[in-house]
Amino acid sequence: MSQPARIFLDDGEGTTLSRFSETPVHGPVESNPAGNVESSIHPVGTKLTLFPYGPSTGGLVESVYFDILTYGEKIENVSYDHTFKNRSIRVTGLTPREGLLRLERLNGVHSASYSTLFCDAAERAAGLDIPEEVKLARVAMMELERISSHLFVASRLTGGASQNIAHMNILLIRENLLRIIAARFGHRYFFGTNKPGGLARSVDLDGIDSDIEKISEEYGEILNTLLDSRIFIDRLDRTAIIAGEESAGPAMRACGISVDGRQFHPYYKDLSFRCVTWGGGDSLSRFIVRSHEIAESARLIRQVTSKVLRIRESSEDFPPVNDSQAGGFMETPSGDASIILRFKENRISRFSLASPSQYNMRAFSRSMKGNTFADFLFGFESLGIWISEMGDIA
Amino acid sequence: MDLGDGGYRMKAWILRSLRKGIVTTKFPAGKNEAVSPWSTIPVYRSGDRNPYCPSSAIKDGSVTHGSCISCGMCFPNFEPSMDVHTSQSGKVIRELGKSIKIYAIDSGSCGACNLEIMSLSSPQYDGTRLGITFTNTPRQADALMISGVLTEGMREALLRAYDSMAEPRAVFATGACAISGGILGKSVSTILNTDVIVPGCPPDPFVIIDSIQKLRGRQ
Repeated sequence: MSQPARIFLDDGEGTTLSRFSETPVHGPVESNPAGNVESSIHPVGTKLTLFPYGPSTGGLVESVYFDILTYGEKIENVSYDHTFKNRSIRVTGLTPREGLLRLERLNGVHSASYSTLFCDAAERAAGLDIPEEVKLARVAMMELERISSHLFVASRLTGGASQNIAHMNILLIRENLLRIIAARFGHRYFFGTNKPGGLARSVDLDGIDSDIEKISEEYGEILNTLLDSRIFIDRLDRTAIIAGEESAGPAMRACGISVDGRQFHPYYKDLSFRCVTWGGGDSLSRFIVRSHEIAESARLIRQVTSKVLRIRESSEDFPPVNDSQAGGFMETPSGDASIILRFKENRISRFSLASPSQYNMRAFSRSMKGNTFADFLFGFESLGIWISEMGDIA
Repeated sequence: MDLGDGGYRMKAWILRSLRKGIVTTKFPAGKNEAVSPWSTIPVYRSGDRNPYCPSSAIKDGSVTHGSCISCGMCFPNFEPSMDVHTSQSGKVIRELGKSIKIYAIDSGSCGACNLEIMSLSSPQYDGTRLGITFTNTPRQADALMISGVLTEGMREALLRAYDSMAEPRAVFATGACAISGGILGKSVSTILNTDVIVPGCPPDPFVIIDSIQKLRGRQ
C-alpha cells in the first residue's frame, strides 16, 4: 500500500518537524514539497491556448489565479498563484493570546482545528497539563467543524453538477449545523472559544449528540440518493486523479492510504473512529471519503458526550513561558497541519506552519493534465483547498 | 405508471422536500430565528468600561462597530447585543429595491465572511425572495461585496472590478477586516469609498440581509 510522504516542516533556522510528530528536531531537511508557488508556465505551442482564470471570479470561493494551458476542451497543464490574497500574517513578537487570534483567522472555516493546534503546542511549551474535559471539548469542536467543512465541499460539488435539490438540502443541513454550533459555542466558526490553557467560555454539550446524529442521518439519506444518480457520478468519476503520497487528509485517504492524524494525536487516544479510505484517488473517491467521515465525526461527538457534558471556562492565566519550544500537528478537515512554536520571555519568538492546502494544491495542479475544462471545478472543490491557509505566516 | 430509476429518485427528492415544510425565514418582515451571539456587536454589561480589546474597538463602555473582531475578550464586562440591525449604509439606492445583483470579492479574507455571504443562497435565508442574487461578473453587478483586508495582490483586481460596474453602484465592506483592517491589515476603504459597512467577524447572515435592505431603502 502507498504511504504518505514524510513531509517536513522547516522553521528556516534548521529546526524541522516530521509528519505527525510533536517533537521538533535540529537537523537537515530531507524534503519539503510544500509551500512552493507553481509559477512556471509551459511554453505556448501552436495549438495550445493559455486561459487565465482569476484571481477574482464568481466561480471561486476565494481569490486565486490559474493559468490553464489547453488545446480546445482538454487541459494540458494548470499552474497557479495563490499569493494574490496573501495577508502576510505575523505572530512573532505577540503573546500567546494575541497569536491565537491570528491563528483563528488563518482559515476561519477551520478555526477550531487551527486554534486547537496552536493552544496545544503553546500549552506543551509552557509545561501546562490541561484537564481531560477541555481536550474532549476541543475534539467536539473539531469534529463539528469537520462535518460543517465536509458539507460545504459536498454542496460545492452538488451545485457544480447542477444537482440543485441535493445542493439545497445540503445547504439546509449545514446552516442548521452552524446554528447549533452558534448556540452551543457562542460563534458559528468557534472564534473566541479556545484560549491557551483551556476554553474562553463555558460549553454545554448536553443533547448535541442527538442533534448531530440527525444531521448525519439526513446527510446519509441525501448521499444514498445522490449515489443513485448516474449524472452526478459521471461528473466526478475518474476526474482529477491524484497520487496520494504528496497530498493530505481526505484527498490522501481517497487514494487508499489509511492514515489520519487523529490516529496519532493524544486528544483522540481514548476515542475510536474508523479511518475512512477509498480507492481511485479521483473526485468521486474524495467525495465518498468526506461523506463517510461525517458519520464518523458524529460517532466521535457521541463518545465525547458520553464522557463529558459541561465544560467550564478556564479562569487561570496562562503561565509565563520562556526559552521553550514545541511542535504539534492536527488533522484539520482538509488534512494534517503542523507547527513549530518557540517562546522567549512570554512572547512568540519563532513560528512556522505547514498547511494541508499547500500539499493538496500541488496535487490538484498535477492532476489536471488530460482532464477537460468541465472537470476543473470538481477537481478543485473535491480537494477542499483553502487559499487563506496557504498565505505566509511567521 | 413506470417511473424508471430517475422517476423514483425524483420522487424521493420531492417527498424529502415536502416533509421539511417551509424553512425560510420571514426576516426582515419577521424576527430573525437565530444569530451567532459573538458575531453581534457587544454591549456594556458591568465592571470595567475599558477592558482589554485587541482591536481597540472599545472606549468608555462603547464599541466601534467596524473594529470589533468578535473575539469575546471583553467578556464579562461586555456581552453580545444579539442585535442584527447594526449595519450602516451611507446611501440609499431605491432603484435596487426590487432586484440587486451582488458580486462578492475576496480581497484577503480568512474565508468565513465569504461563506456567510454565500449563506444567503441557503434555503433558510433564500435571498432570491428579496430579489437578492449573486452574479459571476462585476459588469452585471449593482453592488460589490468585499470581504477581507486589503492585500497588495488584490488591490488592482478590486479597482478594476469597481471600474467595470455601471451606475448606480454600491460598495459593501463586509466584516471587520474589510471595514477597519481588524487585526490583520488595512481596510479596503483606503482605496475605495465604502457605502455600506457590515460589522461582525464574520457578520451573521441576518446582518448581511439587513445591510442590503438598508442600501435599498427598505428598512
